Amino acid sequence: MEKSIRKYFWIFALPTMAAFTIGFIVPFLYGIFLSFCKFTTVTDWSWVGFQNYTRIFVVNGIVDKSFLHSIWYTALFTVVSVLIINLVSCGIAMALTKGIKGTNLFRTVFFLPNLIGGIVLSYVWLMIFNSILQNYSKTIVSSQWSAFWGLVIVVCWQQIGYMMIIYIAGIQNIPPELIEAAKIDGASSWQLIRYVTLPMLMPTITICTFLTLTNGFKLFDQNLALTGGNPGKMSQLLALNIYDTMYGTNGWQGVGQAKAVIFFILVALIALIQNKITTSKEVQD
Amino acid sequence: MKKKLVTVLLAASMLATMLAGCGSGNGGSGDKKADGSVYMLNFKPETDQAWQDLAATYTEQTGVPVTVVTAADGQYKTQLQSELAKKEAPTIFNIGSTADCAEYDKYIYDLKDSDIYKHLNDKSLALEYDGKIASVANCYECYGIIYNKAILENYCKNYPDAVIKSVDDIKDLDTLEKVATDINTNVDAINEACGTKLLEAFASSGLDDGSSWRFSGHLAGIELYYEFKDAGCDLTAGQDTIEGTYMDNYKRVWDMYTNTSGADKSTLDSGSLNAEAELGMEEAVFYQNGDWEYSAFADGNENGYTVAQDDLSMMPIYFGVDDENEGLAVGTENHWTVNAQADQKDIDATLEFLNWVVTSDEGRDAITNKMGLSAPFDTFTGDYASKNAFAAVASDLASEGKTSVAWSFNATPSVDDWRADFVAALTEYTERDGSWDDVSKTFVDQWSYYWKLSNE
Repeated sequence: MEKSIRKYFWIFALPTMAAFTIGFIVPFLYGIFLSFCKFTTVTDWSWVGFQNYTRIFVVNGIVDKSFLHSIWYTALFTVVSVLIINLVSCGIAMALTKGIKGTNLFRTVFFLPNLIGGIVLSYVWLMIFNSILQNYSKTIVSSQWSAFWGLVIVVCWQQIGYMMIIYIAGIQNIPPELIEAAKIDGASSWQLIRYVTLPMLMPTITICTFLTLTNGFKLFDQNLALTGGNPGKMSQLLALNIYDTMYGTNGWQGVGQAKAVIFFILVALIALIQNKITTSKEVQD
Repeated sequence: MKKKLVTVLLAASMLATMLAGCGSGNGGSGDKKADGSVYMLNFKPETDQAWQDLAATYTEQTGVPVTVVTAADGQYKTQLQSELAKKEAPTIFNIGSTADCAEYDKYIYDLKDSDIYKHLNDKSLALEYDGKIASVANCYECYGIIYNKAILENYCKNYPDAVIKSVDDIKDLDTLEKVATDINTNVDAINEACGTKLLEAFASSGLDDGSSWRFSGHLAGIELYYEFKDAGCDLTAGQDTIEGTYMDNYKRVWDMYTNTSGADKSTLDSGSLNAEAELGMEEAVFYQNGDWEYSAFADGNENGYTVAQDDLSMMPIYFGVDDENEGLAVGTENHWTVNAQADQKDIDATLEFLNWVVTSDEGRDAITNKMGLSAPFDTFTGDYASKNAFAAVASDLASEGKTSVAWSFNATPSVDDWRADFVAALTEYTERDGSWDDVSKTFVDQWSYYWKLSNE
């Protein structure tokens, strides 16, 4: 059995690998290639070397900060949303595994926002925000910071429920005898969380931080629908900035592509580091 | 047994997804066409149904397959770029301006000898690029200030302190300013005297992405027009630098729009304002927009507006420069371009189809009556002349000897970027007491900045 698996595994892997190659690897490599070209459509390109990459930072002989701005704006957004989402969803998950009344109802309600698409959700929130801010003669795009907190609220509201479900699954997986043993040894509830629940929860935390981190960096729909990058281009997160360069600036498709390559490297690097850090804290059983 | 069943099911669903992928590919290349075919990537979402019907009629009559795909609003460029890269690329697509020509030069077929170019009345409505007739306008549009004539007449007649005697007195910016200010300040007294339910003079000037183009495109176009006229350059192709000579006039008009409107000046970018509805519900008298709005106010339109279409008319955007001679702004962003990269037989079929559209009864009926466009071809006479009352104002004014304002904003380099920067500055000025100098500076500086970018 073992032997035949080793012999024939490629047949079983083939369909998936083929789909993965066609749908992911080929476009990805082609995309990297295009970042060194000037092109209008993807079939009509001419090689320009590193010109696209220099243009990201120097435009018309002047240093252009818009990409750098969206990098740190995105980074800040990601840090804030990762913290809030994970803390809150973990907290709710703990509360909802204590067997209080109406647990299922609460779980459903918290999960619901996740079922609404990002664009629709943002338009609904846009109306809510603006009708409140109107009283203060402001709108959600009055400054880059109101836009920032608007985005944070929408994204948290959407993702907390989803992460909560993962945390609940993680908490329920902790063997009850461990907790019981700790209790018998006289651990306080804080000690219980600090020395039993959290270490046992590390694999879940790895997954949840990974998901929220990459979601934060990749965020596009909510950004487009809620702020559209306004005021000016000050609330453009990375993905929207790339999209805008690609389709907004005449003849800059190549530069947009180059930004996308940098974007990929950045997200891949950060995700790898994060994975390494949190996995190293996981308890081996 | 159960496990086996699951395995079989999983394998089947996996194969199905793969086969589905191949299947659609086969379908496309499967039907071999003996003759050419037509594929149009339509620019105006509101005309989609009319084009689909027209395409079906043509296929029925001639057997030539015609595909019409309409890009979603604001997604034209995105879709065009991906469609053009396909094997079965569009044979007809839309090009907005000379700037677009530079970008799509390789895909532009010279229409010099085509029938549609021969039928074009006003040859200035075709775009020329690099010695080619790059594209032919398929409609022309006009914009100005749409106003409720009935309410204004009512105001002149029944409001004792009216600042004008008749609507025709509004012939320049000074008078318009006076009327708008008077209506907005004394709105309650006017409502009482005239039995109207006005809330404001000018409909709201939203600075959100759905409305700001009216000011960063159309209103800015008037400034650019006068400037290009002074400079003596091509009015729709523009030039690399601008001076902002008439930005003070822009400010005057903009201040009038925002000061005589009921909308809160500090939240114009909220995206919750609906200027069209304000005019439609007879809450506002003036509204800057174009003749494409005409059908929105038609009786029995799904919008449910109370205003009667006949009560509305359009006046030029008086700019305080040459009000005496200024007509409506007439031009277009809708041009047919034929894809030079398509097979010759497809190009031939496409040219034949376009000619049929502008000469046949079905085609002309669809364009004039179903799409409500004003077509610039010599075949559109009699029953097929435009029924758009706003467009009629444009030609009336022209025949009175006024000069139609060209669509100079078509020259804008990197349109989306330039407009975004300008709107940001305009918002800062309007909502947060920013300085007008910054607005002017952005207007001028960003122009040459983006011009340099798109022409290097």
